[in-house]
Amino acid sequence: MKKILIEHLEPGMKLARPVMRGNMVLLGEGTELESRQILKIRAMEIAHVFVEGSSPPEIPKAELLAQLETRFRHVETLPYMDLIKDVIRKHIEDLYA
Amino acid sequence: MPDMDSALLRKKIEHIQSLPTIPSVLKRISGMIEKPGISLQEISTFISNDPALTTKILKMINSAVYGFPGRISSVSHATVLLGLNVIKGLLIGVSVFEIMQKSMVGLWEHSLGCAVTARIMAKKKGVPEPEEVYVAGLLHDIGKVIFILEFPRDYENAMHAADAEGLTIFEIEKRLFHAHHATIGSWLAEKWSFPGNLVEIIKYHHAPLRSRRAPLEASIVHLSDILVRAQATGFAGDHFIPAVDPAAFEFLSLNESDLMEIIKEAEDSRNAIEESASE
Repeated sequence: MKKILIEHLEPGMKLARPVMRGNMVLLGEGTELESRQILKIRAMEIAHVFVEGSSPPEIPKAELLAQLETRFRHVETLPYMDLIKDVIRKHIEDLYA
Repeated sequence: MPDMDSALLRKKIEHIQSLPTIPSVLKRISGMIEKPGISLQEISTFISNDPALTTKILKMINSAVYGFPGRISSVSHATVLLGLNVIKGLLIGVSVFEIMQKSMVGLWEHSLGCAVTARIMAKKKGVPEPEEVYVAGLLHDIGKVIFILEFPRDYENAMHAADAEGLTIFEIEKRLFHAHHATIGSWLAEKWSFPGNLVEIIKYHHAPLRSRRAPLEASIVHLSDILVRAQATGFAGDHFIPAVDPAAFEFLSLNESDLMEIIKEAEDSRNAIEESASE
């Protein structure tokens, strides 16, 4: 889930949280936004909404991968630790994809 | 550095409940949870009688994690919607939050990360009570909090030693205190009459298959702890990762794509928590 400014909304994005007016749900969670719904949101007095997907991490990818190596330094030859490290490495790469 | 025998250490730890730093609400909550056949009504009254607790519970429930963002305004509504086990978990969660944040920077984030991952893994493995595993994830390192409260200077030295020698805090604890945080945490959990499974998961989260009554749950918390450290979420006293117990890993029989899924789902869930906390 990521928080984005309403001017950055694009058709096809999916709401990760409902858009509310008071206690009333205007657009439900999971709604795939079309242009007219984006216009409707922009007409409201809100600054941002939550959509699905993740924000890219703040740390550069190379640094994150280097930290991973350090953390696993003493255990990577032990059973299954290479598998776990590999999973995390792939996950980091996905974050930047 | 301390070099005390284990019996003396245990005695000291067991008397910790007289310390003002342990929130009295946690003690009351542990008593509450242990009570057999407690009703939703009773638990809801208990929360409602404590305004600070009510606020914290409502704040957590209204975060996106539980799927009711901004829509629940009363405790009784919350207990009906979420059920007893989730509410019990939340109670323990909110009560340890402050004490963890005060004792070690990053420990709460580590514990929450472990809890979220453990719940997802528990569901995947068909554990009947995933919320119980979530609570165990939140509390698995409670022994570290106790160490810091009781021996602040020595524990700080222990963390420095871990850093300097490239060892995990677990190994340093064993050397300096002749007991590690998993044992210490379980002593306290026993003393406070936490549910039996919870005591065992805390006790064996570094040697999960030694647990007789909850080997699967203990293995889940063991692996979740490692996965969260591997991603450097929060801080648990050292910068290295303990090795996974190979037998426990085989017992869980999760393949690479299972692990990828669990990590991804846990990250989404954690982001949701952070987003709502920052509002």
